[in-house]
Amino acid sequence: MKKTLFALGLAIAVAMPAFAQAREVTFTTELQNYRGDGAYVVLYLTDASGTYQGTLWVAGEKSKYYKHLSGWARGSRLDPAEYDGLTGASITSGRTLKITLNLDDSLIDSGHEVRVDSAVEDMRDIRADVVAPLTTEGSGKPVSGRGYVRSLTYDLQ
Amino acid sequence: MKTKPLVLSLSLLLLSGTALASDDCDDPVANWQPRENLREKLEAEGWTVRRIKVDDGCYEVKGRDSNGVRAEAEFAPASLKMMKWEREEDDDDDEYEDERDDRDRLMNEQQGDAKTRMPSNGIVKGRPSVTVE
Repeated sequence: MKKTLFALGLAIAVAMPAFAQAREVTFTTELQNYRGDGAYVVLYLTDASGTYQGTLWVAGEKSKYYKHLSGWARGSRLDPAEYDGLTGASITSGRTLKITLNLDDSLIDSGHEVRVDSAVEDMRDIRADVVAPLTTEGSGKPVSGRGYVRSLTYDLQ
Repeated sequence: MKTKPLVLSLSLLLLSGTALASDDCDDPVANWQPRENLREKLEAEGWTVRRIKVDDGCYEVKGRDSNGVRAEAEFAPASLKMMKWEREEDDDDDEYEDERDDRDRLMNEQQGDAKTRMPSNGIVKGRPSVTVE
């Protein structure tokens, strides 16, 4: 009896972290219809005071333009290790970018915020285009942007 | 007595004319050598050639010269004679950006397409799936 309990406990202990860690989140970023080239857009996490925590996705392939995503650039210090494997094409006016990724559960309902910085060639750079607290309650509710982003919605699975 | 300033200014005028003209190359296009010849010649002299383009009728070369100095030089396209040499300033943004582009490209080549690389920042687990609608 004791042995089975121990085995059960062990199994739970082993399974729990894997269970707790992964949380699938879909971020939907819809752009405004602006007149201009493709936008460079970055999604990243900060803590409640706005301190950079990590990069979620960078839309835009040329790293020489990353400095225009100024809030993120300052936080990540543009260290390639921060965004390696998390980059793709820029997004053109009016289109919607959907990213689905696995986030650590501890990042949700813990005061973390999703921020979006955006920039378009020959137009203004928008720092903190969107700021949205990452909470269970906020899941599925669009948050308006103030620049090139019309809205950001995240869906927690 | 009065002719002296006139002669002086005339000769100055002529001088400035030749000085201006010397910046451009005027080799007839039929005599131009391919830029590969220039690249080979310079590399044999110890240059590291980064880019050759045509500017004002000259071949403009960017790279490091035989002394390892970052330089921009112009060559006559027919004779491949050096017409101008300039040190490239270190704070030249373009230069850095070109190098960064090269580095991006190199990184992509070495590590495969960005689509197959795994993130390493510890926040995102596994490769995200991305669609644009």
